[in-house]
Amino acid sequence: MSTTTAADVQRCDVLVLGSGPAGQKAAIQAVKAGKTVVLIEHERAIGGACVHRGTIPSKTLRESAAQATRLARDADIWGVSPRVGVEVSSLMARLDRVVSAHAHYMGRQIDRNGIERHHGRARFVSPDTVEMTTVAGERAQFTAGVIVVATGSRPRTPPEIPIDHENVLDSDSILSMLYLPTSLTVLGGGVIASEYASIFAALGVKVTMIDRADRPLKFMDGELVEKFVEAFQRAGGTYIGEQTIGGVSFDGVSQVLTTLSDGRVVTSDKMLVALGRAANVDELNLPAAGLAANGRGLLEVDEHCRTANPHIYAVGDVVGPPSLAATAMEQGRRAARHALGLGEDPGINTIPIGIYTIPEMASVGLSEDEAKKRGGSALVGRARFDEVARGQISGITDGLLKLVADGAGKRLLGVHIVGEGATELVHVGQMALLGQMDVDTFVENIFNFPTLAEAYRVAALDLVAKRRS
Amino acid sequence: MPTQQPAPIGGADPKEAFSPGVGDGAGSQAAERDGLRQRVAERLETGTIALPLLPQVASQVLALTSQPKVDALQLSNLIHRDPALAGQVLRIANSPAYMPSMPIVSLQQAVARLGMETVTEIVLAASLQSGTFKVPGYEGALKRLWRHGLASGLFAKEIARLLRSNVESAFLCGLLHAVGKPALLQVVADAQRERVREKLSRTPVPDDTLGELLAEFHTGVGLRIATSWALPQAVMNAIAFYATFDTAAANRREAAVANLADLFASDLDDASPTFEADIRRQGVVGELNLYPEDMGQLLAKRPVVARTVESMTL
Repeated sequence: MSTTTAADVQRCDVLVLGSGPAGQKAAIQAVKAGKTVVLIEHERAIGGACVHRGTIPSKTLRESAAQATRLARDADIWGVSPRVGVEVSSLMARLDRVVSAHAHYMGRQIDRNGIERHHGRARFVSPDTVEMTTVAGERAQFTAGVIVVATGSRPRTPPEIPIDHENVLDSDSILSMLYLPTSLTVLGGGVIASEYASIFAALGVKVTMIDRADRPLKFMDGELVEKFVEAFQRAGGTYIGEQTIGGVSFDGVSQVLTTLSDGRVVTSDKMLVALGRAANVDELNLPAAGLAANGRGLLEVDEHCRTANPHIYAVGDVVGPPSLAATAMEQGRRAARHALGLGEDPGINTIPIGIYTIPEMASVGLSEDEAKKRGGSALVGRARFDEVARGQISGITDGLLKLVADGAGKRLLGVHIVGEGATELVHVGQMALLGQMDVDTFVENIFNFPTLAEAYRVAALDLVAKRRS
Repeated sequence: MPTQQPAPIGGADPKEAFSPGVGDGAGSQAAERDGLRQRVAERLETGTIALPLLPQVASQVLALTSQPKVDALQLSNLIHRDPALAGQVLRIANSPAYMPSMPIVSLQQAVARLGMETVTEIVLAASLQSGTFKVPGYEGALKRLWRHGLASGLFAKEIARLLRSNVESAFLCGLLHAVGKPALLQVVADAQRERVREKLSRTPVPDDTLGELLAEFHTGVGLRIATSWALPQAVMNAIAFYATFDTAAANRREAAVANLADLFASDLDDASPTFEADIRRQGVVGELNLYPEDMGQLLAKRPVVARTVESMTL
């Protein structure tokens, strides 16, 4: 290993730790402002957990599950039946290609913008200096006026649950299972738990989801979640709420036993533990930067993503929920803008949330409850997908689109959707919110026929009717 | 320096002490090697090799483990059908590597104590070693190849655990990544016997020639075996790409894990600082993003793996 002298310390304007969605956007924003930027990534490839272990791999598996659902729906037409003992890798056959293409594209974008990137582990040695150790053990130091911490997260490993990556898995190791199990217990009720629970249920696995909350995805609109749970149960899944875990053990033979707080024991072939994520701060040597993780292991930041040390920013999973790639990107961009005195633009409230469950869920703007709290009252217009021709044609009949408007039923405040295509469809509502459009815009304008976007018009008409009544 | 070769094929076994070639000079040795290589290549090209049958019990074990729900009773019954195998499983289950608090006297007890996965591993390893390949005169070489495969499987598990990858898949990839070698040993031995009959050669195959032939041809043979045994795609790709993991279009990580496991297993008894320094410099370490402290953790597992291999080797 080499030693570092003061002369070896490399200076830059902005140092970004982590190349996931948050780090990338921070780096690109800074370099576009004419700053010199160094990006240090712990993993070999850029993109962070989003590309290599999270968003993209799970969505690739989801695509196979969604196809299986469609195929199962039309099984009689095509004369097909589900295969037993399906290899998980065959369900993710396109993954390597997708990941490689995405990483290649991002790498090119970073290089094209003149961002200097390095591969290594970073740790603070002082508030403005970071030491990087490469895989080969070589060291280098970087100092910068602004440091953006975007080191991401990893699956949280609760000490009381024996995760062995063999029978009890986390959201990283579940993706490399050889074969689909017949049954799976999913601990947790958040985004990752809900996504995997619905994906495996759609693939024919008997899934039991267990969480302390009475329903999963508490931060999402209740009506949407209700639809999701109905679809999950139709696929053979079970949601057990308001339970804590008394213990998890492997029976030494073939079953994982989960003892619930009410004494019940749930057995399954495998278990997925999705009880949140832990911020990757352990290796950062935070005290050297004058920082410390909070009680939940996260970095505390203000509304500008600034930590207690004003020239150090933290963005993405390292600051905690919502831990969504789109939000992380915006945090990265806004942190860089604030740090460089570029001013902040409005729009943070219109970041959409997309959850890739089966069926998908998406949301943008205010919920019904938030709208009522803020304005005293709110009107809601609804459109079920089975009321829309495209929903019938495509067999997507269990969807729902909700428009939330002010008490007068005029101003659009939020859009909430459950159903296949929700994560795409929500952007129509997002643009309407950004344009501060009235609900009537959806009534007065023409949509392609037949499309799911027609649901906007149907929901708007519902709102107009409620306005009159 | 660790390489992708297993431990030397020859060894101290007097039966395998190879005598000099037909001629006396290096030229005639080269001619002998080229002649044998040609003969082996012809056999492989024409497909006139007998692929080893997976022993029935191993085949059933693989079929069982590929089923979503493995039945413990079925596994115990399966092992019971082969008394020799049952004895081996009990011997291994009672070995220091598994440190049973009290003697394990029944297979049911072994399954309950060690878990389905471990017993499956033991059965697979034991049945493959004992029943799959028999090459008279090369027993020692075969044993070393199996020790290498087993050690690779066990290291692959440790690497996978560290990387938060699935350990079941990693074990199979490691265990079977070089399954072509023992089958090829049979081909080489047969080809050499033929040459001896034709008076083209008088000697067993020299160590270095055997090593070269195994390295050159084993992947193709391994893939034929994997296809005939219907092994999972991840294992097929580990066999095909473990030595060139960076060219794998799918299962690149599994191939890289098998590669590093193979390196760790190469010199199982070598505790020298050179081994450690060399393995840390390998490209696959970067591929798997293993930092110095990660490699330290894996290196610390070597004695444990060596003990387990010792106990599982027949």
